[in-house]
Amino acid sequence: MSYKMLDGNGAAVMAMKMARVQVISAYPITPQSTISEKLSELVETGELDAQYVRVESEHSALSVATAAQLTGVRAATATASQGLALMHEVVGMTAGVRAPIVMPVVNRGLAAPWTLWCEHTDAMAERDMGWMQFYCQNVQEVYDMMIIAYKVAEDKNVLTPAMVCLDGFFLSHSMQKIDIPEQEIVDEFIGKYEAKNSYLDTSDPMFICNLTGSDEYTEMRYQQKVGMDNALEVIEKAQKEFEEKFGRKLCMVEGYKTEDADVVLVALGSMCGTAKYVVNKMRQEGKKVGVVKIVSYRPFPAEQLKGILDGKKVIGVFDRSTGFGSKGGPVWNETCAVMKDSVCDIREYIGGLGGRDVPEKTIEKIFEELLEIKDKKRKDHTTWIDVKSNAMDIRQVEKNA
Amino acid sequence: MIKLKFYGLGGQGIVTAAKMLSEAVSLYEEKYAIIVPAYGHERRGAPVNTSIIVDEEPVLLNSFVYDPDIVLVMDSSIIDKGIVISEGIHENSVLVLNTEDENVLALYKKYNFKEIYYVDGTKIAVKNIGRAIPNASMLGALAATGIVKIESVEEAIIDTFGEKAGEKNAKAARESFEQIKKM
Repeated sequence: MSYKMLDGNGAAVMAMKMARVQVISAYPITPQSTISEKLSELVETGELDAQYVRVESEHSALSVATAAQLTGVRAATATASQGLALMHEVVGMTAGVRAPIVMPVVNRGLAAPWTLWCEHTDAMAERDMGWMQFYCQNVQEVYDMMIIAYKVAEDKNVLTPAMVCLDGFFLSHSMQKIDIPEQEIVDEFIGKYEAKNSYLDTSDPMFICNLTGSDEYTEMRYQQKVGMDNALEVIEKAQKEFEEKFGRKLCMVEGYKTEDADVVLVALGSMCGTAKYVVNKMRQEGKKVGVVKIVSYRPFPAEQLKGILDGKKVIGVFDRSTGFGSKGGPVWNETCAVMKDSVCDIREYIGGLGGRDVPEKTIEKIFEELLEIKDKKRKDHTTWIDVKSNAMDIRQVEKNA
Repeated sequence: MIKLKFYGLGGQGIVTAAKMLSEAVSLYEEKYAIIVPAYGHERRGAPVNTSIIVDEEPVLLNSFVYDPDIVLVMDSSIIDKGIVISEGIHENSVLVLNTEDENVLALYKKYNFKEIYYVDGTKIAVKNIGRAIPNASMLGALAATGIVKIESVEEAIIDTFGEKAGEKNAKAARESFEQIKKM
């Protein structure tokens, strides 16, 4: 094994480099900036044989990457927050023309209020745009999921782009020891890129994304749906092959000490590490709690999640995004849909917004509430788990005058 | 598991110091570490902090440190800037402080740390690297607490700064390590 010290952004760059991306068009934005910077440095020093296209916005960044990918190369870009929001129009384009780009999204909240820090709302706002979405717990997973993402996205039965989501600062800027495989094994695993189906070639021109009437639009959307559905099986197969080649076991959804658990908490991203730590601590106190980590949010691994949650009477779901206007956040909604035929009590929790830390005490508080609900000692729960009690007084111009 | 909190001013390289500590224990001592830097709106000169967790096993916890076992202060003036460096400390918490000024030490005594390791890391930095950036020298001071070997710190410093600047910074670390005083 060869260990390297990398932060989440560094791990994403390492994966892009080892996937031998040939065209890069990225626009820097906090906390993604070091991805753009490091990629340009690699091109400058010749360590990475690629064209770096400097663009004026994220909208252009993804436009260039999508068109480049259609010419038959792996193209790279990366973004966060407002940048992803600015890409929105092109996000749907990339998926619709079936350009299987793998894009790190460094999760950061969206304005207003202006923030630089971690939250999943930016990626959740893109959840219906036809991209796969994988959320990472630690820096090793950032590297591993990037590599798996190339393999899955480019599979002829999938042809669907993928966002590899890493929590801003908690992962992007957290340096950790990770295992980087040999280049040859990565080459062998993901193979050389070839364009499948539509392509851009000036000597053999074709229309891509021309105006499509209602006689074909539904069918083309259906093709995307089938590609996304196929991904479930392809991911599983890729993860098995990954384990054989790289020695690390990955899954779309992980149950951590859930088998005998009285209550479980479903979550995404870096907070899953802290949640596992809290599970170990509370189990020492005799409290049977468990965590379910969702890695693949799109496609959503409904059957696997159902298998883990089957028989659990009280379940909490922690969303790191607001889900305005809905009873709960997006992961809660998804979990409820999966469990619709089961008799269970699924509680929605929202927290960790705009970089608010999710410390042990926040997770403990959720587990304590869930245990009390299970023991019928309480009925209610605290949806906005870490909101301060003076929330309604903050920045109220008239009240504070 | 050992939880650390580094305090300093923007520009002193506390994030770099945290990265070097992380590398020292992770690559040279077969341990694991996680850094959670608290990036804010800071500019050069503003108070900043970084959390580091070191363990024998992979670190699951991924949140800021609230109950530090070791507090490292790169610039003693931060207590005049509204920062409470003793926040969350317990009876065995240790302080590593960049000063040898008796008056400053007297101020820091009141925080009730179990032990205070202190040395003028800035002076040692100026002498060895020609700049008042005490991150490498104070990592040497940190090694005196026993959390990391000075040899591992030297290796990580050379990896980070490269051969030439690395040697000088490593020398600063060694000097702080050797000149450390304790109270």
